[in-house]
Order: sequence, then structure tokens, then C-alpha cells
Amino acid sequence: MSDFARQQAEFQRGILSDDDTVLAEILDSPREKREALFGVYRYAYGSRLVEAVRNDHELLHLYLGDEMFDEMGHAYVKAYPSEHPNLRWFSRSLPDFLRSNAPYSDHPVLSDLAALEKALNDAFDAAEGAVVELTEMAGFAPEAWSDLRFRAHSSAFRLDLATNASAIWLALKNDETPPEATALDQPARLLIWRQDVTPMFRELSAEEAMMWDEAVNGISFGVLCEMLATYDDPDGAAGRGAGYLHGWITAGLLTGVSVGKIDS
Amino acid sequence: MNVASRLPDTSAAALADRPAQSAKPPFLGFGLGLRHQHYDEILNGNPPIDWFEVISENYMLPGGQPLRALDRICERYPVVMHGVSLSIASTAPPNFEYLQALKDLARRVEPKWISDHLCWTGVHGKNLHDLLPIPYTREALDHVVSRVQLVQDFLGRAIVLENVSTYVQFNNSEMTEWEFLSELSRRSGCGLLFDINNVYVSAFNHGYDPLTFLNGIPADRVVQFHMAGHSHMGTHIIDTHDHPVCEDVWDLYVAALKRFGRVSTMIERDDNIPPLDELLVEVVRTREIAEKVLPTGKQAG
Repeated sequence: MSDFARQQAEFQRGILSDDDTVLAEILDSPREKREALFGVYRYAYGSRLVEAVRNDHELLHLYLGDEMFDEMGHAYVKAYPSEHPNLRWFSRSLPDFLRSNAPYSDHPVLSDLAALEKALNDAFDAAEGAVVELTEMAGFAPEAWSDLRFRAHSSAFRLDLATNASAIWLALKNDETPPEATALDQPARLLIWRQDVTPMFRELSAEEAMMWDEAVNGISFGVLCEMLATYDDPDGAAGRGAGYLHGWITAGLLTGVSVGKIDS
Repeated sequence: MNVASRLPDTSAAALADRPAQSAKPPFLGFGLGLRHQHYDEILNGNPPIDWFEVISENYMLPGGQPLRALDRICERYPVVMHGVSLSIASTAPPNFEYLQALKDLARRVEPKWISDHLCWTGVHGKNLHDLLPIPYTREALDHVVSRVQLVQDFLGRAIVLENVSTYVQFNNSEMTEWEFLSELSRRSGCGLLFDINNVYVSAFNHGYDPLTFLNGIPADRVVQFHMAGHSHMGTHIIDTHDHPVCEDVWDLYVAALKRFGRVSTMIERDDNIPPLDELLVEVVRTREIAEKVLPTGKQAG
């Protein structure tokens, strides 16, 4: 290893682990000791990364308050040092961290709230894609409908939450007192996407969530309707399927519809 | 990793097509760092700003509103790209995924130039997201020169490097920062972004005269000035970019104009972002001072 490489490794270790080896190669300034000057880098590292997490998770910050959020943020920085040159992606493992590390894992609402904020952030700058318009659907002959397949917009993402985190998110967003965190008997099935430039989410029924998940897996509309028939009134299955499809198209959730196999 | 396979064709024919790396970019006038808080005001008001500098990483994204806003601003104003993660002085292997993303963005933006900092941001797979200092040694110089050449070959254009604010100096340095920058620019062909605030900050922190730094930089290599604010801690100054430009830095700007001539100048605010009007006052001041020091028609550089 070159002397330059060794020095950089020691400088980095000094920032990440409080190892003072590098101080032997640093000069005091005319007005300040080297410990204090190197400390500028140590302090900046933690505070900059915690700030990045705070910017990405404004409502989790609001929910936890400054002190608890900063404590959590520093723990995250220590557990998940950044490995990507773009700070945009630094907070992406926060839901996993909160789900698997005590004391945060004792409060599953925290990882749920972080996962919802992450999904909205991802929708915000997801790739552009064409949006299917309702008028395009009129171009398909009635007999072709059972063979229609769908492709989701690149911003669309499904998220299941085990807690009432979405209600807490809404309350915090509206400057209201959030409800008490509770575990749900059945998961809340959310669909997150970007409509024009605005990230959105809504909760799906179990039936619509099933249809969405299968539709984006390439299952045809005819088979989807057969699956819907096992959920509720079989005679109304096609109507319900058409209703869900109408909602997806008007919300800008689909980027492709075609007869037969869809391009991946 | 096979580095050579990632580089463009270096045959004589290909080299003949490559832009001259020493060509000095045009004078753009008096600009501002683009921040998302000002998108609407800029797009709805067309404020009198000559050009914008954009943080490259803020737009190295799949899509969405940031890129849409950037596209619209690029239609109306000259833009330069300024990165924070090139890590040109790192001893870690080059990050070709990052370089490709930078090149892709440059294809979209068509910037007048691409700049980053003379610094490193991490080694061993980590990124500290800070502009970390280097020792000014011959070994470091050789390393950075070869890295700049590699990046310039990959991007197919000369890059511009900025002097950073530093808080420490290494006891093994063999030359001054301005000697290092001068040699780096001479040997690699890169341009220099002269951050006047950073010169002021580093000069205070290390106890030298900022004019010595300024006079040690070759005038023909400087293509851009940064003007920014900082936080004075008594025994040292931290480059926080969250305050207006202070009077001492304005004075140094006058000296820089006298030495370097008319250079594309911009106000850089990264935190505590004020309304656009407040920053416009500073942009106007950069223009007025330049006009006073170097009346049009008498420009040097």
C-alpha cells in the first residue's frame, strides 16, 4: 500500500471509529490543536449523514422528535456506513435497520413509517414512463379483453404494513395529533406511485391488492377475473375487475396494455 | 476490473476527434447555484441570472420532478455541472458506474463544463460524503494527475477542479496547496474553479495570507469563481455555505478579479437557503464589483 493510500485509510478510520492514529501526521494550526481541527471532520460526518436521513424522513423525525431521531440516526449511520457516492440513497436501508435492531424493532410502527416514506421518496424520482389513457382501452375489441395484459408504471410499488403507520403518516402530514400506534389484524395493503410529479399512496382491498399483484406479474385480464370470482360474488367479478382497471388507468398507474404477452 | 476496456478508443484517429483539453471555456457572466427551493420562481419569473451551476448528484436520478425542472432550466440558461462525489484524489479504484452516470447526465445537460473538488470522499468501499483533505506530496500529485487524465479520457473533455476549505494540514506535505493546484492543472490540462471563500477559510485556518495563495495560481487556468459564506468559530472557520458572503471575501474577490480578469462567477449557498431575491442581491453585487474593477472593454485574462 502506498503512503498516500495508508494515510487515507487512517484518516477515514479516524472519522469512522475515533482511532487517533492519523493525528500523528496532522499539524496543529497557529490557533488550534490538531484534535479539535480533526474533530471538525468527525462531527461533520455524523451530522451530515443524520441530516440526510432527516431530510428523507421528515415525518418519522416529527414522530420521534429531535432527540430520539438524532440518536436513532447516529445508530443507523454506524450500522450502515454509506457505500454509494450519491447521498440520495443513503437512507434506503433505514426500514431494515429499524425492523431488525432494538429498541426500534420493539416498535414496528417505526419501520412501517420509514418504509412508507422511503416508498414515496422512491416514487418521487422513479424513472419516467408512458401513461396509459382510458381512450386507448376503446381500441381493444371486446373479444380481446380477456387476453389483455398490463405493465405497471415504474413508480408503482406495493407495500404491506403490519401497523397503522399510514394513518399516523396522514395525521403527521396534516399537522394533527397522530393516533396511537397499533398492530393490525390484517396487513394494510398500500399502493404507492407518482401521478405526474406528485407521490401518492392509497390502501387497497385484499381483492384489489391480489389483482394488482397478479396483473403486474403478467396474468391476463380474463384469468384475473376468474381469480376475482373466488374472492366475492362470481357474477360481478368482471365488473369489479373492470372497475379496478379503470381506477388504475385514471390514476396513471399503468404504462402498458397489450393483447397477449407484454414486453418486459 | 479492466480499466482499459472502460476507456474510449485512444487510437490516433480517435485522439484527433477529442476536444482540446486546454481550451478555456467561455465567460458566462454572473450566476447562481441552482437549488430546488427556487425552481418555481426561476421557471415562472425568468430572473436576471446569467447562468446556473447544478449539483450533479442531485440529478443523477432515474426521473421525476428534479430532472424535469432541470430540463426546463437548461432550455433557458447556460448550465455547468458541479459534483461532490468524483473523489478524484481517492486511492480507491475509480468508480466507473459513477463516471458513466456523470457522463449520461452531461449528455442530457450539455454543460459548459463539469467541475468537482480536489479532494477525496472515501476509500475501501465507504463514502464519507465530505470533501476530505490531501497531503501536498509528489506521490499524491502523481496519483491525482493520472486520475484526472483517466476521468478526462472517460468523459471526453477537460474537467475543472475546485480548491476545498481545509481544517488540517499534513506534516508530510512537500509543497503548498497553490503549487499543487498549479502543477496539477499544468500536467493534466484540467481547469481550476477558484473558490474565493475557500481560499479565505483555509488561509485563516492555516495561518497564511490568502493573497499568497491567489498569486500562486496560474491566471490562465481559472475558469470559475465561487463566492460563499462561512461560520467563524474563533480559532478556525468552517465552510458552511449557510451565510451571505462576508466583507473580507468580497475584498478578496476584488483582488481575484485584478489577478484573473473576468471569470464566470457565482454565488453558492447550500444551507439555510434564503428567498431567491436575497441571493439575487449578491449576484448583482458580483456583477457590479466586476464592472467597477474591470470596466467592460478593459477585461484581462
